[in-house]
Amino acid sequence: MNIRILVLFLLLAACETEDATPTTTLNDAFDTQTATLLRAGVWMGANNYNVAGEAQIYQQPDGTRVLLLDMFSSSNGPDLRVYLANDAKASSFVNLGRLKSTNGRQVYPIPAATDVNQFSFALIWCQQFSVSFGQAETK
Amino acid sequence: MRISLVLCLICVASGIVRAQSQPVLQSSNAFIAAGVRQGSLSLDYFYNWQPGASRKFQIGLGARITSYIGSNQYHATAPADLAVDVLKSDSLLLSTAQVHALNLAVQLGYRLSEKVSLGFNIDAVGVSFGANKNGRYLNGNQGQLVQARPTPLNILLVGNHDRGTLNSQFFIRYHITKSWAATVAYQFLFVEYTTAVAVQQQPEPNDRFRNKASMFGVGITKLF
Repeated sequence: MNIRILVLFLLLAACETEDATPTTTLNDAFDTQTATLLRAGVWMGANNYNVAGEAQIYQQPDGTRVLLLDMFSSSNGPDLRVYLANDAKASSFVNLGRLKSTNGRQVYPIPAATDVNQFSFALIWCQQFSVSFGQAETK
Repeated sequence: MRISLVLCLICVASGIVRAQSQPVLQSSNAFIAAGVRQGSLSLDYFYNWQPGASRKFQIGLGARITSYIGSNQYHATAPADLAVDVLKSDSLLLSTAQVHALNLAVQLGYRLSEKVSLGFNIDAVGVSFGANKNGRYLNGNQGQLVQARPTPLNILLVGNHDRGTLNSQFFIRYHITKSWAATVAYQFLFVEYTTAVAVQQQPEPNDRFRNKASMFGVGITKLF
């Protein structure tokens, strides 16, 4: 009996539930009229995942910068992050945080020390499995 | 827990000296373990002394080869002085990790009954090998692609000062016959990679990253 319990515990330990990204359509507030557009690009899916919409980097009047995902939609997956990267493979990157939702307008603050000209790619990146879901080359 | 492991080692070392003339039981174990997106196969051989008239205690020396494979595992900063402080600890995320380790090991055992025994073993020193792997070094909100390979030298030290890939098991063994037994164990395996360059620079340069893999497994043991 005890061996059965141990084997059951072993099987349970081998399983893991992965957190999927929320799907609620977001509409983050952001005033594009008062901000300066620095770079912009269009999302494209990768590795058979679908990502669509626009990626725009703005500088706000107070000097802070943000990445705006507009008219955005993405395939769902576990541990999706928003990266700014120097290439589509994320050879060097800045993690802007977990993807808030697979749908809608979303704003992600960019750390002050980030050189946005060095990181010309925005990525939707599954960090746990090191897989790109999509990219936008901003210019 | 690591202190208790060292105490076990001291017990083994002192016990072996006293047990040289005691009856001997040799064991060889094939073991498979699984955890979250990781697993291992190991083969070991132990030469066990059985001091005392009851022959309930076993003190053994042996060798073990462990083959580990993992998928999408985080490896944390390994050096002890950095690992103790979460603010000084970064991580290396490897899409695939595969390490083979050959180590000398020690074992302590106790025979609970004619059919059941339990024990503990741990690797002490040895070598590791495996292919270079691409991984991502993660430092706060920044990261970069790096290459890493298994740390070649394994050695058990005090606390977090261990180096390399070291296996340890707490096991319960059911003796099916005098020659064969089934083993169930909790396995705690250190898997360590060294990056091609010291990717971590703060608060000091570091190239060693460790995955502490908790796994459960089963094995078949030959006694002779």
